Amino acid sequence: MDVRYPTAGSSSTSASLSRRNLLRGALAAGLTVPAVPLLTACGDSAAKTNDTPGTLSMTAWEAYPEQIRERLASFKDQGGSPVDLSLIPNVGYGPALQTRLQGGQAIDVFYNFAYASTKYVDAGWAGTLNDFPGVEDLLTDMFPASAARHRLADGRIISVPYFSAVHNLMYNESQLKKHGISAPPTTKEEVYEQCKKLKSAGVPSPYAGYWTKQFLEEYFLVYLLADGITPFDDKGAPAFADDPKTQDVMEWWKAMYQDGLTSKDVLTADPGNHVSAMAQGNSTFFELHHYFLQIVRTTEGPESENVTILYRNPGTTGTTLQVGEVIQLGAKSGGQRAQDAWKLLKFYGWKDEAGKYSTFTSWAKAAALLGPYPGLFKDPDFLAAFPSYYDMPKLENTFANQSDVVPTRVAPWYASFQVKVGDRIQAMLLGQAEVKETVEALASDARNLAAAGQ
Amino acid sequence: MTSTAETTSRPATRRRSSVRAQADARFGLLLATPALILVLGLVAWPALRTAVYSLQRVTLAGEESWTGLDNFRALFTDERFIHSLTTTVLYSVGFLLVSTLLGLGFALLLNEKFHGQWLARSLLIVPWACPWVMVGMIWKWFVDGEVGALNAALYQFGLIDSYAAPLSDSTGALVVAVLAGAWRQASFTGLLILAGLQTIPKELPQAAMVDGANVWQRFRHLTLPWLRPVIVVVVIINTIFGFMQFDTIWALTQGGPGEATSVLSIYLYEQLFVYTNIGLGSATAVVLGGIALVLGFVFVKLLYRSNAITEGVE
Repeated sequence: MDVRYPTAGSSSTSASLSRRNLLRGALAAGLTVPAVPLLTACGDSAAKTNDTPGTLSMTAWEAYPEQIRERLASFKDQGGSPVDLSLIPNVGYGPALQTRLQGGQAIDVFYNFAYASTKYVDAGWAGTLNDFPGVEDLLTDMFPASAARHRLADGRIISVPYFSAVHNLMYNESQLKKHGISAPPTTKEEVYEQCKKLKSAGVPSPYAGYWTKQFLEEYFLVYLLADGITPFDDKGAPAFADDPKTQDVMEWWKAMYQDGLTSKDVLTADPGNHVSAMAQGNSTFFELHHYFLQIVRTTEGPESENVTILYRNPGTTGTTLQVGEVIQLGAKSGGQRAQDAWKLLKFYGWKDEAGKYSTFTSWAKAAALLGPYPGLFKDPDFLAAFPSYYDMPKLENTFANQSDVVPTRVAPWYASFQVKVGDRIQAMLLGQAEVKETVEALASDARNLAAAGQ
Repeated sequence: MTSTAETTSRPATRRRSSVRAQADARFGLLLATPALILVLGLVAWPALRTAVYSLQRVTLAGEESWTGLDNFRALFTDERFIHSLTTTVLYSVGFLLVSTLLGLGFALLLNEKFHGQWLARSLLIVPWACPWVMVGMIWKWFVDGEVGALNAALYQFGLIDSYAAPLSDSTGALVVAVLAGAWRQASFTGLLILAGLQTIPKELPQAAMVDGANVWQRFRHLTLPWLRPVIVVVVIINTIFGFMQFDTIWALTQGGPGEATSVLSIYLYEQLFVYTNIGLGSATAVVLGGIALVLGFVFVKLLYRSNAITEGVE
């Protein structure tokens, strides 16, 4: 039944508001609302640049969100553009970012994993930075080894640093002494011997490493570099396969696992398990990024305070892997907007308006993270951010002289290689594949993936 | 006997009600249109795009070229895909059996009257309330080889001499992955079956008891046939969940150790987001979706058949 209501100014031509009309109205609204995003989504996502200055968009993973917001507020205070921040959980960041960019979303500035940075430029999702003012100064300010992560062999500059770190061996000094070991190991053989001794003395899992599938590739490089093995040549070819020492390294690795010198769960355990094992004294050695020392030290446990860093990784050369993630400029930013975004990149990945490394100091305070600039190690604010158990001159030396970024790690195909390393080395450790076969297969993977450009 | 007036008014009444029915149908369709558009936009369109991509080579820059069935050929000649397919089947069978049987057990237990029944029923929802990824993390700690509660319990009861690390063993990891996923799914299964059990008229088991049927006979010949439609639905859902499982396995093992728990969804993830091979990834999605569709179709047919049988009996 229709219910008629009088409407203002209409006595003779009364409008009717029936249940059906009401629902029809709702229907129209219901059609419009979902249709808008759908039509937008169906629109052309091809690279149209946005030149309009205004609020910048930035996408980051959820690490230290308060510091990120504080940094962006500080950027604005120093005359920068306002920034609309979008945070994505760390787990699944890569797929989420890729999906957004592939779907045509315009993001001016975004965090990225170094291994994906070249791929994003090639895909047209991130822009090159060569033409922006001051970019050469930024690179010149870096440790020479570190710059290779940001400037490709073909000259393209694709990113600025978000943070840097080095792989180091942490060890429990007093536990070593307690078991009659006077000095930490200098070679892999010594690592093995000391672990054997510790194991027989009752330390359950003397050696800890984050040997999950995703992280094995870092260890692969760390162990190779420490013995002076060049993982990849200048053209990205797998030079490790031609070095007979590679097999020795892998045999050592396999023996460490199969002889029970690591935790039983080492192939799937999270770093938290290893941190806890170090703090409790269940492990004596822990190989991972330098900033994990702070995590171990601040974890409650009887042995936390006895853990320190060996600034030279055990091996014939002691060289280690320098890691770090990056920040990139979205390819859809153009004109003045791109200039504003570049200003943010400089602020975030280098220095602020006052010429201070304030963003890196912020990360150092939050998590003992480093940046790839020698100047940082002269900055009193930055140095003061590190607890006293870090030997900063030694850490600087590791950066300057004893670490390698392995430039091939930013090759477009490298992420695929990482997956292969995870699969193959876990299979080798489990005894499902021989060492020689594994090395050959990895070399073949690298060649095939590079050739396919994947 | 009918009067003339009544006779002449019938066609007019019928016409009016037919017109009314058509108008209602049109109006109903109009009301359903927004939802239909959403379904088409969010389900049908992406599914169609995925199917198209599976026949193409797609670059990240968005260039597309037709490659026919090349992606499918590449897929079925890739050892990793075959391995993942086999692992998926093994996983899904285990997931289906454990979650369904466990859920049935929970439901039968919670259908009985006992003190604290309401609490037990509430607890049944807890696993279902955990996100899949959280289930993976909980189980990772639960079976940990150094500090895991499972090891501690087994050790305390003298069932093991030393702690074991199932996630570092190929078979153990797959078993744990099945149990972790099934633990959560059993909760949902239990709820569905419990709802089904509540609809059994009280007189039926009582009559069976009067006829001398024991517990097993009542379950076998009364409860189980009554629950058949529910169980078929449960089996469909559990099979699909089994085939699509990703989060729990990823949180537990990332598909490892080696490739021991690398199911199709992990293979798909790697193709799309690591190798960024959109064509091959889409082909994998089509295969995965196809399997789920076929199984769903088979189970629905079974459901209709079981309904027909039930109706026939009635």
